[in-house]
Amino acid sequence: MLAFLGSAGVLAALIGAVLLVLRGIRLTRGGDADLKSPANLVLAGALVAMGAMQIALLSDDFALAYVANHHSVTTPFPFDVATAWAALEGSIVLWGLVLAFFTWVTVRRQGGPSDRLGAAAVAVMGGVAIFFFGLMITVANPFEVCVDALTVGCAGSSPWPFAAIDAPADGPGPNPLLQNHLLMAVHPPVLYIGYVGLTVPFAYAIGALALGTPGPEWLRRSHRSTLVAWSFLTLGIAFGGWWAYEVLSWGGYWAWDPVENASLMPWLAATAFIHSGLVQQRRGMLQAWNFVLVISAFALTILGTFLTRSGTINSVHSFTQSAIGPALLGFLVLVLVGSFTLFAMRSHLVASSPRIESFVSREGTFLVNNLLLTVYAFVVLIGTTYPLLLEAFTGTQVGVGEPFFNRLAVPLSFMLLLTMGFGPVTPWRGAAPGLLWRRLRAPALIALALGLLVALTVTRVGWAILAIVLGVFVIAAIVALLLELAINRTAKSQRSVLEEARTVVANDQAFWAGQVSHIGVVLVAIGIAFAANLPLHAEVEMSQGDSVDFAGFTLTYDAPFRRNEPNRVVEGVRVDVHRGGRLVSTLEPRANFYAGVTGGIVTPAVMTRPGGDLYLTLRNLDAETVELGLDTSPMIWLLWLGGLTTATGGFWSLSARRRERVVEQERVLADV
Amino acid sequence: MSERIRNVATVIVIAVMAIALVLLTSTQPADVDRVEQIGLRIKCPVCQGESIANSPSPMAEDMMDLVSERVAAGVSDQGIIDELLGSYTGAVLLDPPASGSTLALWLAPMVALALGVGVILWWQRHPGSDTHDPAPPVERSRTRLLTGGVVLILAFAGIVVVASNSLQDRPAEAAGAAALEGQDLSEVSNETMEAVVAANADNPEVNGMRLALAERYFEVGDYRSAFPHYLLVAEDPEATAGEAVTALVRLGWMAYDGNGEVETATRLVDEALAIDPRSTVALYVRARLRWCGAGETDQAIETFEGLLTDPGLDPETAAGIEADLELARDGGECP
Repeated sequence: MLAFLGSAGVLAALIGAVLLVLRGIRLTRGGDADLKSPANLVLAGALVAMGAMQIALLSDDFALAYVANHHSVTTPFPFDVATAWAALEGSIVLWGLVLAFFTWVTVRRQGGPSDRLGAAAVAVMGGVAIFFFGLMITVANPFEVCVDALTVGCAGSSPWPFAAIDAPADGPGPNPLLQNHLLMAVHPPVLYIGYVGLTVPFAYAIGALALGTPGPEWLRRSHRSTLVAWSFLTLGIAFGGWWAYEVLSWGGYWAWDPVENASLMPWLAATAFIHSGLVQQRRGMLQAWNFVLVISAFALTILGTFLTRSGTINSVHSFTQSAIGPALLGFLVLVLVGSFTLFAMRSHLVASSPRIESFVSREGTFLVNNLLLTVYAFVVLIGTTYPLLLEAFTGTQVGVGEPFFNRLAVPLSFMLLLTMGFGPVTPWRGAAPGLLWRRLRAPALIALALGLLVALTVTRVGWAILAIVLGVFVIAAIVALLLELAINRTAKSQRSVLEEARTVVANDQAFWAGQVSHIGVVLVAIGIAFAANLPLHAEVEMSQGDSVDFAGFTLTYDAPFRRNEPNRVVEGVRVDVHRGGRLVSTLEPRANFYAGVTGGIVTPAVMTRPGGDLYLTLRNLDAETVELGLDTSPMIWLLWLGGLTTATGGFWSLSARRRERVVEQERVLADV
Repeated sequence: MSERIRNVATVIVIAVMAIALVLLTSTQPADVDRVEQIGLRIKCPVCQGESIANSPSPMAEDMMDLVSERVAAGVSDQGIIDELLGSYTGAVLLDPPASGSTLALWLAPMVALALGVGVILWWQRHPGSDTHDPAPPVERSRTRLLTGGVVLILAFAGIVVVASNSLQDRPAEAAGAAALEGQDLSEVSNETMEAVVAANADNPEVNGMRLALAERYFEVGDYRSAFPHYLLVAEDPEATAGEAVTALVRLGWMAYDGNGEVETATRLVDEALAIDPRSTVALYVRARLRWCGAGETDQAIETFEGLLTDPGLDPETAAGIEADLELARDGGECP
């Protein structure tokens, strides 16, 4: 029943998507057609599909092969809900739902028969939707029924909803790592909103190219969607790092893993695009470049999905054995070849950029920022795909890991930070002589003084000092600019600096929202630098009642424990943490044992404090002794705070009402 | 104080502070955890792209322990890395050198950066018109662009064709795994297989998958993970004869190769031969054990020769036996 319902939903969405393409094209040719009903059909179909999946999971309906293989009666809430995106087929249902929603919004914004660009964008969205809903009825069908039950799980399935069902009584449950932390329920949907949201600017860009109207209209109309996508992508990446830190028990948050890289690449491209889009809107430059960036950002989301979902990362050899791999790769090639061919055919219409008047200008700093971000994305791309390509073509196995990425990404990040200090204080077109010096000398002094202070008081700080100096420089430059603009206003008004600062921000909210994001990035950079340079580490073996001193704390092994939970058995030890003779906390580093999984999933115990975290990992536990890994993560919360701040800037700029002309005039005055 | 003097003073202060900062940080002793640094440079053989420093798998922990020991013993970084790469199949350096097949990896970002700078400078010298009106379409440039598009498509098509060809040639060797009810397991991850075999522990049909999983561990040298699976198959009365023989022979080989226990190994292989006296793999390992463990070279040669007469022998195994036979005849040490 649910299999039928789900399949019907997918089919309805697919039909709706086909109609959107046909009617969208008809509208661009001057005809008239209703887009709203097919858009409603796509959204309703996607909702029904996700609803059927959720009902199946919540009611333990093991007739669905997906449920039989990824769910268990013991899976607790909310992980049974999250199981819907714990594996390939289900995650495509989620992808389809998000895409259906963005498509629906794009249709709502389409302004009738006269709006050809909107219609063309809808047609492109429909095309993308055809692909993803098409996957669901072919190579990644989430609603196959189980026709060959095992004791636990399902050995054979059929796409035909009315096939003779042979349902098992229980399933193995989702991957234990995915039912270990609440963040895993949130991280994928947030990330998917980011990925899928990038389809909207892509659709408008392709629409504009197809219609031969490559002016800034498409940028203006997709601006908000781009910001939504970027903000969610930021949030998703931050959640991913946080989850890894809380669950994966190695104390890190980022390992340049292909799955992580898959989310970083579109983020870098989208970040570059947000900046270069501004250059086109303000100065008419970089039109062609914006097309390249938006196509690349979208293609990178598909590439990321291909890399993480085709099994190619496990082994190049699994590529041809799962049909989803060739399907995604084919779609990627189609997107790239189709888009760039269209772009080449229309490039005579793309206005070439006027000469940049001075590199010491806002657009100049954006050019540098775009160059750095693009090279950054390229480094991640080549590092991720090089081993696959080399093995595919020559059979040679090489590994590319953290050492490679760090060696290139760290200097690039520092250059980006430096650019971030200059960009916001540099006016468009060109800065008057001496302006940058006047605006940046105080921030430079403050940054260096603070850096010296840190270098004198904290030992072992290493290259983290550079991150601190550049980070403080960026923040000080932003604050100094705000003060300067506010003080200029007080000369004419009788109001206080604070009130005027509020007015300055209100007048150009989008700009200041951007600066909030910049501050978030700085916090992340400083957090990374601390995490890389300052942690302490020790391995200890303790008997019950033993104590060790570590990082200013006294840790006492109190007792082992064992708890039976519905879906797992938890084994671990209680460790009392004292500081200055006072009990601060009791930590429980542990291992979770799930039915059907050999060995325990080691889960760290984390105590968060303003100065940093204490991070205990269970290494070995027997009758007499326990072996523990002890780590500190100094100021690791800077990373999570930074990620949230960066995303907040993005969300805030969505509500921005631009009254820029006033501000711009003031800046020009200030420059003179 | 005039503006000029103040500026000069500021510059001097900034310069002095910057120099002081550089001196301060560069004189601080570098405090890097060598074990961690080395661990980050080695890929864990049984994981998905994780380094042994970051992987929780038992094999990675073993390897990290080895690194700690060697670091404590004062072995050089390169020495430790060479030892790890040599003794663990599937361990790969994650820090590719800027030479040979990975030279392009390092060059490409530099080229991209140079190209980007070049394009920006070129654009500065050859700017477009200041107007936003599109330039009149020029037929020649259009043809050129179309040609470019066609070249691009052909290039992509070429890459895809070559890639899929070179991929299709090879999966067979990776796919040599037995299957549960004839399923193709080659795309199933180790974790999934672990879950399935554990969940269906009582089902004799799962022995095929269990064995396939164990074979995967065995092939990358992870005896510790392979051992319990082979043991369960070997002890399962419902296992088929073929499954039991494979499991016993593997257990025997691991006992010899991992722990040097010739007697245990011989006993296990003999058990396998009791089930199937004609099993090629059991006979082969038995001969290897005689040669390498007990030093009975002549008997080993005899068995090798006997095995090579089998017409059903696959060429790869035959080549291996022939190589061993030659070595044994020359009185060489067993490899």
